[in-house]
Amino acid sequence: MEISKYMKRNVVSIPETSTVREAAAIFVKHHVGLLPIVGKNKKLIGVVGLRDLLSLELPDFVSFIADVDFVHDFGAVEDTRPPARTLDKSIKTLMSPAISVPEDTGLLRVYALMLQHQLHDMPVVSKDDKLVGVASRVDVGAAILSTWSKVA
Amino acid sequence: MILAAVLSSLIFLITLVLIFSEKMNRSITAIAGGVFMVGLGKIMHFYSEEAALEAIDFNTLGLLLGMMILVAMLEPTGFFEYLAVLAARASKGKPLRLFVLLGSITTVLSMFLDNVTTVVLIAPVTILISEILGVSPIPYLVTEALLSNTGGVATLVGDPPNVLIGSAAGLSFADFLIYSLPIVVVAWAGALILLRYLFKSELSKRPRNARAVMKLNPAETLNHPKTARQILIVLIAAVFLFFVHHLLHISPSFVALGAAAVALVVVQPDINEVLKRIEWSVLIFFAALFIMVGGLEASGVLGSIVGLFRNASSVQPVLFGVLLIWVVAALSAVVDNVPITIALIPVIKGLGETGMDITPLWWALAFGAGFGGNGTIIGSTANIIVATLSEKTRTPITSKLWIRRGLPVMLTTCAIASILYTILYRWF
Repeated sequence: MEISKYMKRNVVSIPETSTVREAAAIFVKHHVGLLPIVGKNKKLIGVVGLRDLLSLELPDFVSFIADVDFVHDFGAVEDTRPPARTLDKSIKTLMSPAISVPEDTGLLRVYALMLQHQLHDMPVVSKDDKLVGVASRVDVGAAILSTWSKVA
Repeated sequence: MILAAVLSSLIFLITLVLIFSEKMNRSITAIAGGVFMVGLGKIMHFYSEEAALEAIDFNTLGLLLGMMILVAMLEPTGFFEYLAVLAARASKGKPLRLFVLLGSITTVLSMFLDNVTTVVLIAPVTILISEILGVSPIPYLVTEALLSNTGGVATLVGDPPNVLIGSAAGLSFADFLIYSLPIVVVAWAGALILLRYLFKSELSKRPRNARAVMKLNPAETLNHPKTARQILIVLIAAVFLFFVHHLLHISPSFVALGAAAVALVVVQPDINEVLKRIEWSVLIFFAALFIMVGGLEASGVLGSIVGLFRNASSVQPVLFGVLLIWVVAALSAVVDNVPITIALIPVIKGLGETGMDITPLWWALAFGAGFGGNGTIIGSTANIIVATLSEKTRTPITSKLWIRRGLPVMLTTCAIASILYTILYRWF
């Protein structure tokens, strides 16, 4: 069971020249969790996740205080936006190195890698590192579970 | 003997330089320094392992350890966060009220508990409160550090220099309340007023959302209210015993360790977790410094320094005391006040042996060592903690800002201390 059979081929990606603002607009439009960042010839350069952009909004205290149950109202934090100069920065400032799999990878391996690297979407590349698809945990998981119907 | 004095001074100075430059972990540096000092002493016959052990002031270590155990048990109950949230609600989101409340809570806590732990636990909640209100956390963070440094000078257990001085000079908890507390109260008030003025613009900004702090639930910050209550009762009992320890002929360290033992028996926590939270490296650091200074004493270095000062006994004693306040303050603004205090204690004792009245000098040392730490961002460990935490936020406190706010506070508190010291000198 190779990932190439179960991945989405219609990948939403962004060029490395994008700004944070442009990336945000794409996240909003397509409702995805991960955006692969591509360079020339659709070569996979890195990824940026929804959480990376949201970290610009998250208040500082969340990283210092483990249990925020007692904060019933986040007050001014709910109305805070990142400043314009942050949004105009290149998306590369939030980019993480791409973790990807070749298109002939087995489903279980893909799933195990997703768990290890805490990814919900895995970019899939061709032999020359070009982005050819993306698979979500649900795509992979459902594909694996579909084989269970064959168990007597 | 000169060679011994020179070499032992060299070891001490190199160790100090390494500690202050932070090239190596300071406890590791101190241990190495201590071992070298004993080794040198054995080779040159001025020091021995027995003498080194004698040089360690176990009274100080015991007091520190006892209080550390109590705080280590109190931390996970959420008590400190609870107090900060209570302050937030009581302030109703008004910046000035919050400023005074958080500053006061940190001060009172730091008079009895370790400055550093107090700030470590209150600072994150301070950042939280500021972000919810939509104001800058900087005035509150800086004020917490500065006021806790200042307030800690008021009691025997309030800061490490006081613990060291109290033990060396045989001063009791009550002595600190009589001689130090009144001056500290005035200095503290001065510091608060000055800081309120220095942060005028930040504190006059209206919060974007004052109502949100009223929705903070203090009860939910207390993970273990019963345990917190038990430990607080033991702490209060310990404070009472501190008040009268000299009448009962027990040392403060016995009170602290006794209280720790009682609390451990009552609460029965996971002892490994408690022991993990104790800063053993600080205790080892102290012990190693004691050993090194013992070596300096044994090699005659401190005797020579005392000799230098003997000419100073012709100087007006009040002036000498005031000079001591400022010199020690200047030093402790840039370097850790613990090594300074440990090194100056035998010097002052030596001056006493020349016939000088040194009782007032102990207080001068306490004021200088305690108030000096406000001057720069690295002046005291509480400052460093606050600065390091704020570096991880969107509004970091810069070194320059600290000097612009902390230095005036340091100068003001030292000035107040000098003036009151001069006026009240004959009662010292």
